[in-house]
Amino acid sequence: MSSFNFRKTPTVIHKHYQIHRIRHFYMRKVKFTQQNYHDRLTQILTDFPKLDDIHPFYADLMNVLYDKDHYKLALGQLNIAKNLIDNVAKDYVRLMKYGDSLYRCKQLKRAALGRMCTILKRQKSSLEYLEQVRQHLSRLPSIDPNTRTLLLCGYPNVGKSSFINKVTRADVDVQPYAFTTKSLFVGHMDYRYLRWQVVDTPGILDHPLEDRNTIEMQAITALAHLRAAVLYVMDASEQCGHTLQEQLELFSNIRPLFANKKIFADLSAEGIQVIETSTLTEEGVMQVKAEACDQLLAHRVNTKMKGKKVHDVLNRLHLAMPAKRDEKERPPFIPEGAAMRRKAMEVDAPKRKLERDLEVELGDDYVLDLQKYWDLMNEDEKHDKIPEVWEGHNIADYIDPDIMKKLEELEKEEELKERAGEYDSDDESEDEEMQEIRVLAKQIREKKQLLVMESKEKDVHGPRMPRTATKVERKQLEKEMGNLGLDMSDKDDSHYAQQARRSRSVAVKRKRESSAPPTSRTRSQSASRPPRDQLGLRDPKMAKKAKKMMKNSQKGMNRQGRKGESDRHVFDLKPKHLLAGKRKSGTTDRR
Amino acid sequence: MRIEKCYFCSGPVYPGHGVMFVRNDCKTFRFCKSKCHKNFKKKRNPRKTRWTKAFRKASGKELTVVSWLFDNSLEFEKRRNIPVKYNRQLWDKTVEAMKKVEEIKQKRQARFIMNRLKKGKQLEKEEAINEVKKNIHLIKAPHAGKAKQMEDKMVQKLQEDVEMGDSPGW
Repeated sequence: MSSFNFRKTPTVIHKHYQIHRIRHFYMRKVKFTQQNYHDRLTQILTDFPKLDDIHPFYADLMNVLYDKDHYKLALGQLNIAKNLIDNVAKDYVRLMKYGDSLYRCKQLKRAALGRMCTILKRQKSSLEYLEQVRQHLSRLPSIDPNTRTLLLCGYPNVGKSSFINKVTRADVDVQPYAFTTKSLFVGHMDYRYLRWQVVDTPGILDHPLEDRNTIEMQAITALAHLRAAVLYVMDASEQCGHTLQEQLELFSNIRPLFANKKIFADLSAEGIQVIETSTLTEEGVMQVKAEACDQLLAHRVNTKMKGKKVHDVLNRLHLAMPAKRDEKERPPFIPEGAAMRRKAMEVDAPKRKLERDLEVELGDDYVLDLQKYWDLMNEDEKHDKIPEVWEGHNIADYIDPDIMKKLEELEKEEELKERAGEYDSDDESEDEEMQEIRVLAKQIREKKQLLVMESKEKDVHGPRMPRTATKVERKQLEKEMGNLGLDMSDKDDSHYAQQARRSRSVAVKRKRESSAPPTSRTRSQSASRPPRDQLGLRDPKMAKKAKKMMKNSQKGMNRQGRKGESDRHVFDLKPKHLLAGKRKSGTTDRR
Repeated sequence: MRIEKCYFCSGPVYPGHGVMFVRNDCKTFRFCKSKCHKNFKKKRNPRKTRWTKAFRKASGKELTVVSWLFDNSLEFEKRRNIPVKYNRQLWDKTVEAMKKVEEIKQKRQARFIMNRLKKGKQLEKEEAINEVKKNIHLIKAPHAGKAKQMEDKMVQKLQEDVEMGDSPGW
């Protein structure tokens, strides 16, 4: 499966299809493209704010920042492009009705799409400009023009940003050079359970309106449109680079902007409230804030009272005062806890010593000791190190209030058992006979193992000959029998020794010529030689044993159905070609 | 910190060792080593796997609470669900008691196993006797000293005959 999105219109067409189908196919593509363009452009046009529909403060701000004319032009261009695209699509769809082959229709579609693309390519600069506007617009601070606002203005580098940093949670750049603040910044603060906006402006220099640049114009716009309490900040130490005189001049120049606004100046002026402040030592900052906010609130209330909407609300408000029924004094009741809490809020001192205070006090020596809060029976055991594990056992498993009692019982039991002799070791001393037997048994086992090992070590070349074929050395025989305990000294005239001597006197072993029949054998010799199955056998008992041994060795072979020792044929009793596979015709008859 | 028991072999699982498996029915299984874990995954029954303690207890090879009905020494170590507040005296006593109980437990367990193995000694003895009876011929011929004996007997008999021959009565 390919990774990119599938086409939204069908892609497969052949020239042998019916012509209406081909036409419809390509018309669809043209209309689809036109639709997409139309939608996108409409979205852009509607999403950008119309300068006539928004608050004049924002309209002015946008004018200052982006130039109203350019903005409107760009949007107009886009609108035109949209209409053009629509027209193109309409035309080509109409033309397609007269296309009589696949090739013609395809070329028409190609032309339509091409024209639409070219139209849009021409709008490149407008689109780029609008994109920049969009990005900047999204980063503008959200200033509510209708709510309680404090506006800071003054020369550059006098301390407006420091003030706003002190009073709100805003974090505006404060640097020693002028024009550090290049745009409007908003901070919020609380006073009297109400939210207040504090707006920081870039500094204004003293020259006529036409000469002002974008940055100053922003400040002017704010001054002009926001209904706020204006705090004119002045630098008494003249570190901003302008003398007090210049600052005062600027103030008077800006005054016309202050129509129907409340004015407070930090430091000197006529008829206007002045408060000394220092952001470094924090003196007066709270005072300024309080004063400004109070006055603004009063002003706002007044304006509202003068307006028309108040009456709707006032008509519905009614303060009911209960009539006095007797002379008894009934003051309002404030519970003690509430009063204390209010006092604590005002005084702002912690009631009990917190861990944090302790930590700060002790500094490096502080150790978090949670064990001191434990609730135990004995107070002095709180800081004990409690053992948990002993030799692979958990101590917690043994904890039991009655453990001592149980232990006692157990020990008593143990004592009884010991007395009863359970724990006596019982190796009975064995008598001598048993020890001898053990020794002998051990010897027997060793001998057995030896025999087994010997038989394993034997090389077995050739057929298994009966024992009598191997010649037994006299010395070997005497040694073995001697080991078994028999007395083998002076056995010269024993049977086996005599046989050995006799066989030596006879000629060396006759070579057996198995292939050539013994033609030279005389009848007497053949008669004198005993038959093979009686050779070497002394008595019938031995003969019987020999016969038994013969039968024994044949048992295995007979059971396996072998002809002899050398028969190693492996029978194929279940041939695969007969037994595997499906039961096809005829092949199961011969199983 | 606790020393847990392995589900399969009942061995100790020290902190920082082993694996814990939590099943969908919220039952947890701890294993001391991957051998036990793998056996568990093969669905083997610890009561039938010969090297585990569970097997040994189930087949009576080791002292259990049931085998000797009055064996209290195994009742001391039990997981308790109600926590007891720390009390130094109680803890001290418990530690001492624990050591003594452990001693007694070891003695009893050893005694139990010894008793079980006594039968083996008996069998060993019998086997030795059998062995000797059957296979003595491998190390000592049956007539080992008998030749000499026979000779002596023969000599004695001859002597007697001679004496008989010499005896008066003829």
